[in-house]
Amino acid sequence: MKRYVLRWETALLFMLIAEFAIFGMINPRFLNLSNLLYSTSDFAQIGIVALPLTIVIIAGGIDVSFASAVGLCAIVFGIANFFGMPLPISILASLLTGAMAGLFNATMIHVSRIQPLVVTLGSLYLFGGAATVLSGVVGAGGYEGIGNFPDVFTSFAYVELAGLPAPFLVLLIEALILFIVLHYSRFGRSVFMCGLSEHAARYSGLRIKTIQTITYVLTGVFAAVAGLVLSSYFGSARVDLGTATLLPAITAAVLGGASIYGGQGSIVGTLLATLVIGYLQQGLQMSGVPSQISSALSGALLVVAVALRHGSAVLADFIAARIMATNRKRAAS
Amino acid sequence: MLDFFARNRVATLCAVTVLAFLLIGAVAPGYLSLSTASVVMSNSLVLMSVALGTMLVILTRNIDVSSGSVLGLSAVVLGLMLNDGHSLGVAIIACLVTGAVAGLINGLLVTMLNVPSIIATLGTLGLFRGVMLILTGGNWIEELPQSLKGLAINGPLGISILTVVVVVALVVVGFCVRQTRFGRYFYAVGDNREASRHLGIPVKLVQIAAFVAAGILAAIAGMIFAAQIGFIPNQAGNGLELKAIAANVLGGVSLLGGTGTVPGIFVGVIFLTSIDSALVFLKIPAFWNDFIAGAVLLLVLLLDGRVRMAVDRAIRAKRYAVHHHGPSPTNIDQPDTSNPSNRDGASASRPQEAGE
Repeated sequence: MKRYVLRWETALLFMLIAEFAIFGMINPRFLNLSNLLYSTSDFAQIGIVALPLTIVIIAGGIDVSFASAVGLCAIVFGIANFFGMPLPISILASLLTGAMAGLFNATMIHVSRIQPLVVTLGSLYLFGGAATVLSGVVGAGGYEGIGNFPDVFTSFAYVELAGLPAPFLVLLIEALILFIVLHYSRFGRSVFMCGLSEHAARYSGLRIKTIQTITYVLTGVFAAVAGLVLSSYFGSARVDLGTATLLPAITAAVLGGASIYGGQGSIVGTLLATLVIGYLQQGLQMSGVPSQISSALSGALLVVAVALRHGSAVLADFIAARIMATNRKRAAS
Repeated sequence: MLDFFARNRVATLCAVTVLAFLLIGAVAPGYLSLSTASVVMSNSLVLMSVALGTMLVILTRNIDVSSGSVLGLSAVVLGLMLNDGHSLGVAIIACLVTGAVAGLINGLLVTMLNVPSIIATLGTLGLFRGVMLILTGGNWIEELPQSLKGLAINGPLGISILTVVVVVALVVVGFCVRQTRFGRYFYAVGDNREASRHLGIPVKLVQIAAFVAAGILAAIAGMIFAAQIGFIPNQAGNGLELKAIAANVLGGVSLLGGTGTVPGIFVGVIFLTSIDSALVFLKIPAFWNDFIAGAVLLLVLLLDGRVRMAVDRAIRAKRYAVHHHGPSPTNIDQPDTSNPSNRDGASASRPQEAGE
């Protein structure tokens, strides 16, 4: 029992319930079930990229390039569609672009042996630039979108399956797959091992490069998924579709319990953190708070939540040290 | 020769920059002129100031991604004070104090609460941007007084007062980190925090000082931004923090802390800024900008990483060669014999410890 109560995920769940309670009191319409379900369409993409990002962070890396990979994959889909490719092939091309982007990141990191943050920062510009250049090719130029998608595609984001809106369902299915992969497979255990100690993992015979490459490729593929969902939701593929997900997605991963030093984190935590962040924005909006204040509050939430986590750890260490000291004094006297 | 370039990132980047300038000058005549240099310089001032502050933080093995928001916040404070009728001097002081307080918050979060710096500053990135928007109510600040805009006007030498301010900042920071005792602490703390603590260096104070300095430099950048543009949009400084980190990396500042120089920052920033102006002269559409910047950044990193590895290997090979052909072969034997004995000693002492 204690094992389940004293977990960070439980704290996140309480945070989510507290949000529901507070916003429900301010505006009862917030707790309307269809509102709760359909507002997920506005932030599902954050979770879609934050979940694989969590795995990258656990394996000891970091990826900031997904933000522009989302736009790049959407643009590739738009161009394939523009040139009259059938829908499945366009989608496949987009997913393949995402995988290639992830593979590119991993290769650059392994070949140059420079910190992942720096390398992916470079590819953040590269992918964003490539997307802008590509959209210029078909005359969409600058930051205009590529539209004219088949109706099947544009209606996807508004379809309701099993009572859930499609983007949210995509997020849930993805979470389920990644949950099993990360927590119940050999690959998942080796991801944790990589992040905890790369040397130990290497000496125990794990293929570190392969494992880390897979984590980056996963991020790329799901960046493509996010790009497709967003293109469907907005009805057009734009270069800047993903830029707004950069900070919220990293925030979700970190708030969800992933340690930036690697070796720690969970899928459930990131999923809950995504909901906490997303509903905070939605709730503040519905309570009539101007959007500028809501962005300040979500920044403050991250600082407070992380400070609480680290602060409580520091406090626990301090108390433990004091108890040790008094025990030693008692033993000495 | 290769050794020199491999060890000296600043020299490499200088050579690449000069080569690029010459190539562009050959293709597009009229590029190599004093007026281009003046434009590049004034365009680079904002990034230069932010990158300089970011360098101080990175030197201590932290990172600051909140500088873009600090820039926006302090620019808004400056603009609001000026439009309320305060004098320029008072407004600038308020702007700098805002930057310093923002830096202090970052520093306290990182040192006192032990929050990893990337997460702490990621949070304050949103926080400061939000505070800025609350202050402005979501509106742009326009109609800034001429006294502020006048700062950006070029003087007789094609140099404005703002250029002088940034150059002075570069020189002061450069002098401090090279010549003063407290400045050297930045390198020590970044290189080995635990060792620095044991030596009696005020590790926490040094880190806080780095964040506060970064805040003040971001505020200076905010002032330059407001003076050059003449109004303050909501997204002022957005994304600048990543560009500043990119300039640092290009300029040879290691994200692992303890390595980096002010001249490196200068060349890195000039290089990134001159890409923009070169594209104009080469008549390449502006949307190639990010692509080229990213490709150049990755290429430099790749080359740098590979060359550094090759040099390390060459040095190691040299060292082993010396041992093999050295005058006293006992030199080789000694570590071989001492190592097992050490290991024995260690394993011998372990049972004793367990016995206690």
